[in-house]
Amino acid sequence: MTALRSLFQPMAAKHGLGAACFIGVAVFIWVVFLIVLPQISMLDYSFRLNLPKPDIGGPLDVYTLDNYAYFFSGNDGQLNTLDIGILVKTLVAAVFVTLIDILICYPIAYILAHSATGVAARLMVIGLIVPFWVNEILRAFAFRVLFGATGLINSIGMGAGFWDQPIDFIRADVALYSGLTYAYILLMVFPIFNAVEALDRNQIEAARDMGASWWRVHWRVVLPIAKPGIASGATMVFMLTAGALAAPQILGGPSNLWFTQLIYQWFNESANWQRGSAYAVILLLVCIGFVMMLMRVFKVSIGEIGR
Amino acid sequence: MNKGTGGGAIAAGYSLLFFAFLFGPLIIMVITAFNSSSFPRITPWECFTTEWFDELFGNERLMAGLVNSVIIGVGVVAISVPVGLAGALALSEVGPKVRAALYTVLITPILIPGVVLGISTIVFWGGLGRSVGADYGSIFFDGMFLTLAGQVTFIAAYAMLVFLARLQRFDPTLTEAALDLGATPGQAFRKILLPFLSPAIGSAAFLTLLASFENYNTTVFTILSGNTFTTTLASKVRHGTDPSLSALAVIIIAVTLIGAMVHEAHTRRAEVMRTGQAARSKVYGNPVLSVLAHPVMVLVLLVAMGGGLAYKASQHDARACKQQILDDKRALQEKLLEEQRERIRAQKAATPAPAAPSSGPAPSSFGGAFNPGSLAPGSAPAPAAPATPKTPSGFGGAFAPGSLKPN
Repeated sequence: MTALRSLFQPMAAKHGLGAACFIGVAVFIWVVFLIVLPQISMLDYSFRLNLPKPDIGGPLDVYTLDNYAYFFSGNDGQLNTLDIGILVKTLVAAVFVTLIDILICYPIAYILAHSATGVAARLMVIGLIVPFWVNEILRAFAFRVLFGATGLINSIGMGAGFWDQPIDFIRADVALYSGLTYAYILLMVFPIFNAVEALDRNQIEAARDMGASWWRVHWRVVLPIAKPGIASGATMVFMLTAGALAAPQILGGPSNLWFTQLIYQWFNESANWQRGSAYAVILLLVCIGFVMMLMRVFKVSIGEIGR
Repeated sequence: MNKGTGGGAIAAGYSLLFFAFLFGPLIIMVITAFNSSSFPRITPWECFTTEWFDELFGNERLMAGLVNSVIIGVGVVAISVPVGLAGALALSEVGPKVRAALYTVLITPILIPGVVLGISTIVFWGGLGRSVGADYGSIFFDGMFLTLAGQVTFIAAYAMLVFLARLQRFDPTLTEAALDLGATPGQAFRKILLPFLSPAIGSAAFLTLLASFENYNTTVFTILSGNTFTTTLASKVRHGTDPSLSALAVIIIAVTLIGAMVHEAHTRRAEVMRTGQAARSKVYGNPVLSVLAHPVMVLVLLVAMGGGLAYKASQHDARACKQQILDDKRALQEKLLEEQRERIRAQKAATPAPAAPSSGPAPSSFGGAFNPGSLAPGSAPAPAAPATPKTPSGFGGAFAPGSLKPN
């Protein structure tokens, strides 16, 4: 309590009692009722059984590991290869999408920060932002139009004689990966841009004058500066891709599920909220664990994340 | 382009490719909105039409969802902008250690998958509702309220980031000066800090409205049995697509572009005014051009232009062209049929006359029941008969009359 008061008093002295009360109450409600308690109750829920309504709170309502056990071993005690496989596939695909985004966005962020000037730079910034004002669903829909069996790519490919049967890009997940790559480009460009912009141009020119080749300049001078930006962008892209629901639902092949779709099925089709919660907890823990591990590997802290 | 730091042809080419990837899908989608083909596509082009816009506005579920989305969006802006402001102010006041911890807590909702946020929200409020004995009609099970709660959780963090960026440039000595001159802390807050933050309030409000409007992952859980614009859209896309969605995209993109241009006009004007070069500038020094370049004028002009185009397009009658397409299709069908008949006739001519009877004694348990010849014994050529060998039947064409033909 004294700790809280010591936080509160300087604020009241600086901004006035009303403002300090407002800040305190708003942050308290936000942290407790919107962030912490919901996560805790989801965790609690995931350890419970899916009981009919009269039994809730009764003697049957006990804590159990059933929902987690189901994820690992299914109903029959065998290894639940289906669900585990989907989780692994989701993570691998998310890593893949993140890597592609880094590859695509690093050059554009560098160009934006150091090569483009004046009107070109302004236009580029607008051009980057405008597509992301379009609804996420519609962006996925655009890729469906592009990659469908009668879509533009198939008609061009067949018209030019590259292939004579329509290729099912949706089933092959090409559409899904392109759509996901597209969806989070902005979140990758701006962190890298912010980081690279801090670089003094003279350093690049000095390196050039000393005779360094282009890839060497990037590897030794630009990349170390860009690293926090890349880490921050990669974290966001990875988390959002792994947690994406709309794009896999719209662009995913019929037999290829994303892990979030499994969670969605437990909630909306099987009406088993407890098991859905358990799967959500698993997704959360695995994603956070994965990101923490990578942050440790690349020596970046979470404080550097944000736009 | 600045050559010294790696501009030049490669950079320009790469940028072009990059923006082609960014805009290509959107442009294609926009074009499909005007094709009369009932599946969204460019090739084959059928007719220019605006009927998909009518269909879009006639979609009642989508329009009902739009109303819900607007209500939720306004609510989210009204809550998350002040909450985000509070978070940013709290972060700028506390010590470094508390700051790091609080920042981590407040920023995690952005990183947590939206699905998880949605689930935790409905589970928490549902549990709270049950523990106070509320029934299912109460606020704890109301999709609109839950969506509001779930969205504010992470959208407030967006607003916070906007305010934090602005606060970094705030000079705290301004507040101190106000206090020294006898202002109360409350006055200093209202007269110094809030006006300084007001541009950030505008952009935070815009960002939060946009984020709320297009959120799907959280909303699809928290809205329960209700609908917002985005969830309706998603279910529509999942259950078959038609170009009315492209029409929607056209509207959104048009609004976006107009917004971007007006914003650009506004920032340029503000910049020129601030640096005091208005009199010398070509555009802003000229009285006519200066009025034309005013953001409001830009908005009016663009809206008028868009409205004019929309009106002109809505007068376009695609019926004649569609009839033409239909006729063409019918003609093509006729032609194909005719060709097929022609082929049949040719085949018939090449086939020796006793072909059908020869297949009579087929050594099969079906007793030749599958033999088309038995249905049309030697008379006029049944159209299906020659086609039979082509059908991938499980009998491998063994029952086809031709297969036993002694030639």
